[in-house]
Amino acid sequence: MSVVPLRPGVQAEPSAHAKPVAMIEIDRVSQMFETSGRRSHLALSDISLSIEDGAFVSILGPSGCGKSTLLYIVGGFVMPTAGVAKVKGRAITGPGPDRGPVFQEFALFPWKNVLGNVMYGLRQQGVKRAEAEAQSRRLIEMVGLKGYESFYPKELSGGMKQRVAIARTLAYHPEVLLMDEPFGALDAHTRTRLQNDLLNIWERDRKTVLFVTHSVDEAVFLSDKVVVMTRSPGRIKEIVDIDLPRPRRRADLLLDPHYQKYVVDIEKLIDDVLEDELHP
Amino acid sequence: MNASQFGRRISPLLACIGLLCVWQAGALALKTDSFPTALEAIRAIPSILGDHESLLNILDSLRRMAIGFGLAALVSIPLGLMMGRIRAVASLCNPLLMIVYPVPKAALMPVIMLWLGVGDVSKTLVIFLGVSIPIIYHSFQGAKAVEEKMVWSGAAMGLSGFQRMFRIVLPAALPEILAGCRTGLVLALITMVTSEMIARQNGAGNILFNALDMAQYDTVFAMIIVIGALGIIFDAAFEKLRRALVRWSEPRFDMPLSFS
Ligand SMILES: Nc1ncnc2c1ncn2[C@@H]1O[C@H](COP(=O)(O)OP(=O)(O)OP(=O)(O)O)[C@@H](O)[C@H]1O
Ligand SMILES: [Mg+2]
Repeated sequence: MSVVPLRPGVQAEPSAHAKPVAMIEIDRVSQMFETSGRRSHLALSDISLSIEDGAFVSILGPSGCGKSTLLYIVGGFVMPTAGVAKVKGRAITGPGPDRGPVFQEFALFPWKNVLGNVMYGLRQQGVKRAEAEAQSRRLIEMVGLKGYESFYPKELSGGMKQRVAIARTLAYHPEVLLMDEPFGALDAHTRTRLQNDLLNIWERDRKTVLFVTHSVDEAVFLSDKVVVMTRSPGRIKEIVDIDLPRPRRRADLLLDPHYQKYVVDIEKLIDDVLEDELHP
Repeated sequence: MNASQFGRRISPLLACIGLLCVWQAGALALKTDSFPTALEAIRAIPSILGDHESLLNILDSLRRMAIGFGLAALVSIPLGLMMGRIRAVASLCNPLLMIVYPVPKAALMPVIMLWLGVGDVSKTLVIFLGVSIPIIYHSFQGAKAVEEKMVWSGAAMGLSGFQRMFRIVLPAALPEILAGCRTGLVLALITMVTSEMIARQNGAGNILFNALDMAQYDTVFAMIIVIGALGIIFDAAFEKLRRALVRWSEPRFDMPLSFS
């Protein structure tokens, strides 16, 4: 990865060892599922991917290619059937507050209202109620849900739930964000706004982000690297480095020929993936 | 309160009055000793509730019912939740429950009496057994249905296995658990009366069957009304509590199946 200077303190430190430890290291990971009917299904095959501290990496690929599964493995929710995934050099054995997932299905706590959901992680980490509440209210405002603090999940629309899910994870400051189509249920305007907000947060805190999306321009706009995957079995087809200057502004990028080239190239890659499936 | 709300409030009352009218008419038409009219039965209620001895008997029954129900909830909810989340617990307990489930708990009463006597312990144990099954079953179903990603979200926030069970699975399954408890509460009343029918010694059931032995049919029917009313009151009170606890899960428009 060539573009973004990482957190200077971290990057500049002269390391005694030649190679700095990546934030996330996925090493020849495969995932086999037993499906009903006693057949096994290879969801991921021999995936290797290294993500540096502070990098924003997007995963693109057709539905069912194992994007979510890969995220679950990094999250520690699923143990790979082969290979290892590491975070900061240590093999992942389970979930932890250093990696915050935003699930495709939101998975909000239905018995908690919006504020209660967003506060949950902070309270769990022992933050005092008043402080947790103040921080959570700021986040709720940021995701555009001010005034909905006392609503319960069943009273929210899909897009609103998604924003609560994002706020709930951002609240407890995980070093790594694992976001599974977090903007999928949003209208175009909210989506653009939240993309900008996410970029702002990321540029400020330099979290490492693993971001699953179906939108090519979202991936190019946000990412340092775009991983394109194939399906059945899920493999990495290509990793594209996005060499665009930051901070990025969507309005500027749209006319940028470099940006456009990335989008077109990746669209073509995905076309190839689908074409290969039809005519192997 | 608008008209439809008023109607919903008043309709259970109308149903009761209707039932009593049919009873009254039926009894008047049949004119047998063993079937007193509704009015005669209602007239016998004050003498039961006014009698110190009877009142103590009924309170004894209710105490056993409360202890049996409480203990059952205390044991069955955690057991059901663990069965729903931990495969080993489920495969251990499932066969056991499958055997226990269809056996009428009151049928165990003679054996239990043989071992534990005819006192409070036996009766409370039977109530406990009767109540446990629906609560275990519903807690199990509730825990099984908890969305995996909800539990994962908790794990990512650093909740331990125990905390996830207590602070994610339990509240998420609460609507289902309380549905089981509601069934359990009515079953507790039923088992309570049945146990006192078998181990005749004291209690509400005993009053009823003593009166039957002495051919005091108005007292028999008065007791049926009293026990029935207790059931309705408990159920309505529990339903109120349940709705307060799981308001977050209720669909917005629904017809409550209760008299509250
Ligand atoms: N628990 C499971 N048991 C069996 N098969 C599974 C399981 N989870 C996922 N799979 C299979 O693994 C493959 C990848 O699933 P995954 O959810 O990771 O896809 P995805 O890329 O996230 O798709 P989408 O874009 O639709 O969300 C699919 O073929 C799916 O059927
Ligand atoms: Mg997915």
